[in-house]
Amino acid sequence: MLKVNIDGQNLEVAEGTTILEAAKKAHIKIPTLCYEEGLSIYGGCRLCVVEVEGENLLQPACATEIRDGMIVRTHSPKVREVRKTLFELIIASHDISCELNCLTCSRNGSCELRKVAEDIGITEIRLSPINKGYGEDKSSYAIMREPNKCITCGRCIRKCEEVQGIGIFTMANRGPATIVTTFGDKGMGNVECTNCGQCIHACPTGALHEVYHYESVWDVLHDESKHVVVQTAPAVRVAISEAFGDEPGTIATGQMVAALRRLGFDKVFDTNFSADLTIMEEGTELIQRIKEGGTLPLFTSCSPGWIKFIEHFYPEFLPHLSSCKSPQQMFGAIAKSYYAEKNNIPREDLVVVSVMPCTAKKFEAKRPEMDGDVDYVLTTRELAGMIKAAGIDMVNLEEEEYDRIMGTSTGAADIFGATGGVMEAALRTAYELITGKELEKLDFYDVRGMTGIKETEVEIDGLTVRAAVAHGLGNVRKLMEMIKAGKEYHFVELMACPGGCIGGGGQPIPTTDEIRQKRIDSIYQIDKNKKLRKSHENPYIKKLYDEYLGEPGSHRAHELLHTHYTARGV
Amino acid sequence: MNYANFLERMHNIQDTYGYIPECEIDKVAREFNIPRSKVYGTIRFYSMFYTEPTGKYIIRVCDSLSCHINESKEIVEVIKDYLGIDNGETTEDRKFTLEIVECLGHCGEGPVMMVNDHIYTHVSKTMAIEILDKCV
Repeated sequence: MLKVNIDGQNLEVAEGTTILEAAKKAHIKIPTLCYEEGLSIYGGCRLCVVEVEGENLLQPACATEIRDGMIVRTHSPKVREVRKTLFELIIASHDISCELNCLTCSRNGSCELRKVAEDIGITEIRLSPINKGYGEDKSSYAIMREPNKCITCGRCIRKCEEVQGIGIFTMANRGPATIVTTFGDKGMGNVECTNCGQCIHACPTGALHEVYHYESVWDVLHDESKHVVVQTAPAVRVAISEAFGDEPGTIATGQMVAALRRLGFDKVFDTNFSADLTIMEEGTELIQRIKEGGTLPLFTSCSPGWIKFIEHFYPEFLPHLSSCKSPQQMFGAIAKSYYAEKNNIPREDLVVVSVMPCTAKKFEAKRPEMDGDVDYVLTTRELAGMIKAAGIDMVNLEEEEYDRIMGTSTGAADIFGATGGVMEAALRTAYELITGKELEKLDFYDVRGMTGIKETEVEIDGLTVRAAVAHGLGNVRKLMEMIKAGKEYHFVELMACPGGCIGGGGQPIPTTDEIRQKRIDSIYQIDKNKKLRKSHENPYIKKLYDEYLGEPGSHRAHELLHTHYTARGV
Repeated sequence: MNYANFLERMHNIQDTYGYIPECEIDKVAREFNIPRSKVYGTIRFYSMFYTEPTGKYIIRVCDSLSCHINESKEIVEVIKDYLGIDNGETTEDRKFTLEIVECLGHCGEGPVMMVNDHIYTHVSKTMAIEILDKCV
């Protein structure tokens, strides 16, 4: 252990501890911008500089390790003066104030620059900000970049490369001309971006945000001739109230449904319904592949970030991918066929809006092979914004129920929102469909939690089914390499975002590991409290098959609920 | 991963093609097992690597302090007029690329210009035109 004195506080820390980490232990907050827990140290913004006794120059706290006997001053007059100047320089390179565009920024409620300004007590800005005149990157269906707001902290670069294992961003040029860009300045839509949106969570400014659909949704809501239905993904209900100041993990299903009704949606349905449907189709596909010697392991196909990832980086594995559309797309397909026919709504007048924790869903909805299933995709953040704009005090609304019949779901569908959930839901159903016996223990704890790669084995009718789960594309790549090297499984669940959908790129900001865990806990709480916890027990799914689809894997089911993929390469 | 010969590779590619084409970036990225954005970013960090085809003659005019006070701007203007291109541009016949650059290391002899690997010092406006004429 090393002895250190920080701002007069004596403490002992382990070797390798940085000044920033030690200060945190002493309950001292050193402002940072380019630092993010879980990413490598960059040390570029210099905001965290501190005075170290015996050293002439100020040292960056994030990149300086404690030496025994060190005496550190984190908020001395010199440090505070320098820090303010540094902040002014950063702000001057960041296009704010001249057009009052803070107010219209995607991060007007969650700007880290504003928080830092408050923390270090900025009272004047002596430099006028520069609009560097860079164009916006609108090449992607999912994510938009506004480089004029970028402070080149590099967090998006490191998040994409280190956590997601992709690395579509890079810095280019030097000095004041430094920019964050993509390969060949092609833009996010023209490179191997998976649209996962984790870069949005990494960005301290509004330089990265989703491509907005909310304006189009307002338009259709106010168009009398349109019948507008909405579906909400499992992960939205445990996160949306954070945008209204609630504790992370607060379950707000009923309040959200009430708010959606007040916004004017004609029917409020649940993506959970089609998650149950996905389990029926994917479960059937798994059983068929096992029984008939099909391509194994079977890969799940719910996460559109993962789908684009495999299309770019492992196209040779595409036959392993389940042909099932994701729950969002299955919902759209059923709404525009079964629901529309049953209620005599002309297809052209029916608008399907989805609320997703996800930015990649925006790209998925635009895929030509299933174009038209879903018209608009709102992120959790966009819906929260709409609810606020409509003056709805969501968190205090009386709880309301989803509309029938596409609003009824089992606990198996709820857990789709957490890593391991699809696997667990599929195992619950596959076990009972294969054996015809009731599954005694419904909880598969091996596949739950934040461990990057999880494995389990389940005895089903004499066969040991080997399953694996990976979340966060960095872990997904590791698991894919294991499979490539010969590791054998029957069924593998892969999710693009750390923690699964609850940690998606469309979720409220901030989304940290601690917040992810709280949302996961709530997801399993919802499952535990449901009477029906197995997809095949959903009475309305049974009804859908009886009235319309026939049986899982039928010709009609294939037409509506299955899709194909594109080998993209890099 | 050993990056020791990375820049060497970049130089070789540029010597071959006159710039570093996209397909070569892809190849190097696969070889070094790094994202192609990273290769691209490295190239863009060094101002003497090019991702677009350049002219046969790269004209660099220094605009650092001592050349600047020796009226290097005038040299630049003469060259711009003569070639009909702006800073960073290449003539349509792919003969000339013009770049305003930082110090070329001859501060006592400004203004300084460079054509490919050759340095010219004490450049006057007429001298600049003569140098370009020689290239044509």
